[in-house]
Amino acid sequence: MSTIAPAMRHVRGFDVVRPLSIGMLLFMMLPLVFLPLASIFIFGTSSGLNRFWAALTAPEAIFALKLSMATSFWATVFNVIFGLFAAYVLSRYNFWGRNALIVTISLPTAIPTAVAGFALLLLWGPYGTLGRFLTPHGFQMMFTAGAIILANIFVTFPLAFGVIKPVFDTMSRSLEEASATIGATRWQTFWHVTLPSLRGAIVSGALLTFARAVGEFGSTILVSGNLAGRTQTAPLYIFAKFNEGQIEAANAIAIVLALFSFLIFSVLFFARDWLDVD
Amino acid sequence: MKAKEKLIPKPDETASTANAPQAAASVIGVSKRFGKTSVLENISFDVAEGEVLVLLGASGSGKTTILRIIAGLEMPYTGKVILHGKDVTELPARERGVGVIFQSYALFPKMTVEKNIGYGLRIRKRPRKEIRKTVDDLLSLVQLNEHRKKYPSQLSGGQQQRVAIARTLAYNPEVLLFDEPFGALDTQTRVHLRREIRALLRKVNVPAIFITHDQEEALELGDRVAVLNVGHIEQIGTPFEIYNHPATEYVATFLGAANILDAVVRKDSLEVGAVQIPATLDPEKFKQGDCVKIVFRPEDVSLSKSDFMRPGLVRISAAFIEEITFVGAYERLRLQLERPGEKGCKTDDTPYYLTTETPDRPVPKSIIATRPKPEASATRFHIGERVTVALTSFTVLPQDGAKPNSVP
Repeated sequence: MSTIAPAMRHVRGFDVVRPLSIGMLLFMMLPLVFLPLASIFIFGTSSGLNRFWAALTAPEAIFALKLSMATSFWATVFNVIFGLFAAYVLSRYNFWGRNALIVTISLPTAIPTAVAGFALLLLWGPYGTLGRFLTPHGFQMMFTAGAIILANIFVTFPLAFGVIKPVFDTMSRSLEEASATIGATRWQTFWHVTLPSLRGAIVSGALLTFARAVGEFGSTILVSGNLAGRTQTAPLYIFAKFNEGQIEAANAIAIVLALFSFLIFSVLFFARDWLDVD
Repeated sequence: MKAKEKLIPKPDETASTANAPQAAASVIGVSKRFGKTSVLENISFDVAEGEVLVLLGASGSGKTTILRIIAGLEMPYTGKVILHGKDVTELPARERGVGVIFQSYALFPKMTVEKNIGYGLRIRKRPRKEIRKTVDDLLSLVQLNEHRKKYPSQLSGGQQQRVAIARTLAYNPEVLLFDEPFGALDTQTRVHLRREIRALLRKVNVPAIFITHDQEEALELGDRVAVLNVGHIEQIGTPFEIYNHPATEYVATFLGAANILDAVVRKDSLEVGAVQIPATLDPEKFKQGDCVKIVFRPEDVSLSKSDFMRPGLVRISAAFIEEITFVGAYERLRLQLERPGEKGCKTDDTPYYLTTETPDRPVPKSIIATRPKPEASATRFHIGERVTVALTSFTVLPQDGAKPNSVP
């Protein structure tokens, strides 16, 4: 059949549209994506790698990075477990208000992050709806690492759910029915049959949530208080150093965050096959 | 075969003191509704130890629902399900110990073949040694030894199905339930596989219930076949019985092509048009003057050029050949019956295969006949030729609601 293949090509010989369109695409992306990214690296290393390294290993910088990782981690753990549970309930059971609930779960991504942070303050802050009763008893959630986790949970709420739910929906019911007729309890079925099929969705949901939480700025700056060395996350550090005119310090962390996101999305993209099937 | 002794459920294991030879599985008076629509009406049948019962019905006949009720995946509205003498109607699926082979096989995609087969024993917390031995035995029983480390997606449809069967055999199921097991396969594989599964079932001696809409499959697989029609059983019997002695017109037509002629019961005969056919009928069922239907299969029709009849054949009419079609293994002829001076029962005369014809124009009665190759080549017919039609065998069915319009 290989003799037929060349005849089936639409254009014989050199196809000029191909290099033109690829070139056009790259040209459009240049000022929008490539140059901004490149300038972080160019500027960050322009005064020498030593200066860069010093800026990166400053105690406040290290602390900010660690805090970002830790708060994002816990927000991810919570949202993956919650997303799994919500996806299970919402795809297995049909009840009144189900669709409304699905919309509500997805809402936090559509809300501006500053609004999200503000909402949390209005609830938990010293004069907030709940906060004003709790604060006199010495419980103040805001302006702590806990507040950052809370904000991260809020803004990344639907991400894991959004990845896991479709997999649940398309999963054949007969797998679970087969497991039941073989003699498995609901828990055994979930553990041995349902969960393994969700592995890819869980991993990609977690990576998405984590990447998004690490970069969170708008809500964090409101609820954390932005206290250097105490509640300052990496994005807040960049902002603070930039305001103080310490461009190099800001730049060092910016490079780390940019590389970090690049890594996560590379994993998501290139490990697709591994995540989906064995 | 080693696996065999293991896999046969020992009769004395069932805690029952039943007197007569006990059915392995019984469905008693089961009905089912979804909302207000009734999908099953008073279904009852037994499956004996080692027997294969086929539930045959068109889609929407409720056959899948019966299977799901036996498996415990659906609750009956009324009625009971008994497995080896034990009423399991109230038990959840996982406590019934039935083996279901789903149409899609439902193999666990993230487990290898051997993990799939061992699943039932693993969740029963059996010792690892026992699991390995059972899996080994079953792998050789279904001849998949070299595929044990593969994942379901790496297997062919037939291989997946064998894994599905082995997976249920691992925990000695009370009964095997097959939900349209060959539906997703091409014709060749289907025929090959059903013979293989038939042989396998004989070997393991586990009672099985198949559901299918394929009459050929039902006849070949079943020790007995139950024909379902919109939620009730029309007839249950051996393949020979239901094919050759259908109890209703539905069974007759569902199990392959059937010709139907109206007739009136006379003393020691049936009157078809102007012809009297000698027949002795059960006086309990048929009275003189009753309207009946004569049902016969295309292969029961014998055609000849002369009026000479071999003994044992029943001449019904002369006919003109309308159409001759070559259908591979045999020749199919459409004949128009010559029925001068027609009288008798007037009912909706349209045979099932002519339903596209307009009903208000009286259609001359057509029948279908088939002739095997040797006969077809020995005596050639051509279109328009007049032949004598006789029957080698036929079934008489009562005709509901029709009154004879001429009583002598």
